[in-house]
Amino acid sequence: MYPLQIDNISFSYNSLPFIENVSFTLSNGEFACIMGPNASGKSTLLKISAGMLKPLSGRVILWGKEIQRYKGKDRAKLISYLPQMLDFSIPIRVIDILKMGFYPYQIPPDLDISAALKWVGLTDKKDMYINQLSGGEIKRAFIAMTLIQGAGILLLDEPIANLDIKYQLELVRLLKDIVNNRKISVLMAIHDLNLALQFDRVILIKAGKIISDGEPFKVINEENLRDVFDIDVKIHPSDNGKIFYRYG
Amino acid sequence: MKARIVLILFISSSICSMSLFIGTEIINPFDMDALNRDILYTIRLPRILTALLIGIALGASGAILQGILRNPLADPYILGISSGASFMAIVGIVVGTGYTGLFSIPFFAFTGAVLTGAIVGSISYKKGIFWHTRLLLAGIGVGFLFSALVMLILSTSAQGELKRSLLWMFGELSMSDWGNLPYGFIFISSGLLIALSRAKALNSLMLGDELAWNLGYNPSRERLLLFISVCLMVASSVSLGGTIGFIGLLMPHIVRMTIGTDNRLLIPFSALLGGTLLCLADMIGRTVFSPMELPAGIITALIGAPYFLYLLRRKDIISG
Repeated sequence: MYPLQIDNISFSYNSLPFIENVSFTLSNGEFACIMGPNASGKSTLLKISAGMLKPLSGRVILWGKEIQRYKGKDRAKLISYLPQMLDFSIPIRVIDILKMGFYPYQIPPDLDISAALKWVGLTDKKDMYINQLSGGEIKRAFIAMTLIQGAGILLLDEPIANLDIKYQLELVRLLKDIVNNRKISVLMAIHDLNLALQFDRVILIKAGKIISDGEPFKVINEENLRDVFDIDVKIHPSDNGKIFYRYG
Repeated sequence: MKARIVLILFISSSICSMSLFIGTEIINPFDMDALNRDILYTIRLPRILTALLIGIALGASGAILQGILRNPLADPYILGISSGASFMAIVGIVVGTGYTGLFSIPFFAFTGAVLTGAIVGSISYKKGIFWHTRLLLAGIGVGFLFSALVMLILSTSAQGELKRSLLWMFGELSMSDWGNLPYGFIFISSGLLIALSRAKALNSLMLGDELAWNLGYNPSRERLLLFISVCLMVASSVSLGGTIGFIGLLMPHIVRMTIGTDNRLLIPFSALLGGTLLCLADMIGRTVFSPMELPAGIITALIGAPYFLYLLRRKDIISG
């Protein structure tokens, strides 16, 4: 049984079709990303996958059961979703945010708060207010919250947008580390072609349709990039397995 | 933090019990004659209980509204409920209703508050979602409408009515008696209980609807429940003592800076401190310029605003 199965979903905003007949499955321990131009449906697809938006047609199956049929708290133990925009006008302490990860549970799961803080490297900032942290630290605080939440599927909407290169790499490494250690599945929307190579799988979408889906080296090719992003690009593989893109 | 909690509990209980014995007439609790006892039970005790209830309602509502609207500037009056209540209360004053009896000014005010709450709530509900920005804007819009109507009535009313209306709008506790207290207690305590039972959900709502959903809550449902709890508390508090400013805005910030941001503590402590501040303000209002009385609402602002500004300078936690 797959943790998450997206079965032929369509969705529209104001009766304009936005997602059309999209299907894919997410396997256990898979580290996958969605790529595509702005307004191609990445966020909507993630929200539908999280059960937050109801698809017009098709089904989202979470561990063999339709996601809409779960109770909120039960769903929260299995799948978690982090939105792109995390803004706070009211101060909340980092430690209080982490503790919210326990909310779906009557009896808290085994991972304790200090372990989660250590994992994301925020041990010495636990008593600070969330709006005093940097963009990267905010993201890490919320990843720690989802760790405590204990869900086996993590959906992240552009978690590395607005982060500088160092924080981007740090965050991707952190997530990879979590995937390897806790065997959770991650699906995140990203924009960076180089970072995409760090994933097990890339789902490339354009105008609400999947154009290509598979290993990064197969999906990210000149033809697909031209088709999806409407850019002229040359790909130069180097000796050490890295790729260089030259935009024309 | 535990030391602070004990300190706050100690200060609150001292102020509340002190305000029983201090006033135009200072009463020695160990040497009371019949007149003193009469003043204590028929005038002071109901007045202090009313102040406590109003302060509790305003402090708690402020904390809840800042959370559901995700706005540190929100106060219990931002939803226009108080303007609706004022409008109806002033209609009551102008048509010559008294403070007691079934169709009294508090009853008029409560009806106005509940109706306004229902109007604002129904405007905010669209396509199965209870929107927080709509709630804020609908509240402000409806509030302006009723304020304009209040001004319209005031500008055409006789002098005696005008003064009574203005006093009511600034927060008037001198008319408090036992009659309205039970109703106030029932509505305010049920509002507070609803809010306390949803405190975890409110914590999650402060992170935004999507994260609240992620933690297993239905944001619209939780916001609606919390909105109802605020309506109950604000409607009762306004009908008990008019519109008293600053407590609802101020208390949640003070509690966040001293005790913490978790609504499970924030709501009860904002309530407790709100009640205490209003007792203190009322005690000052009826003692300092005795026998003249200053409306408690003015004192709360005079004490509250400078302390708030001091905290704001000292603690850099409000973003922007």
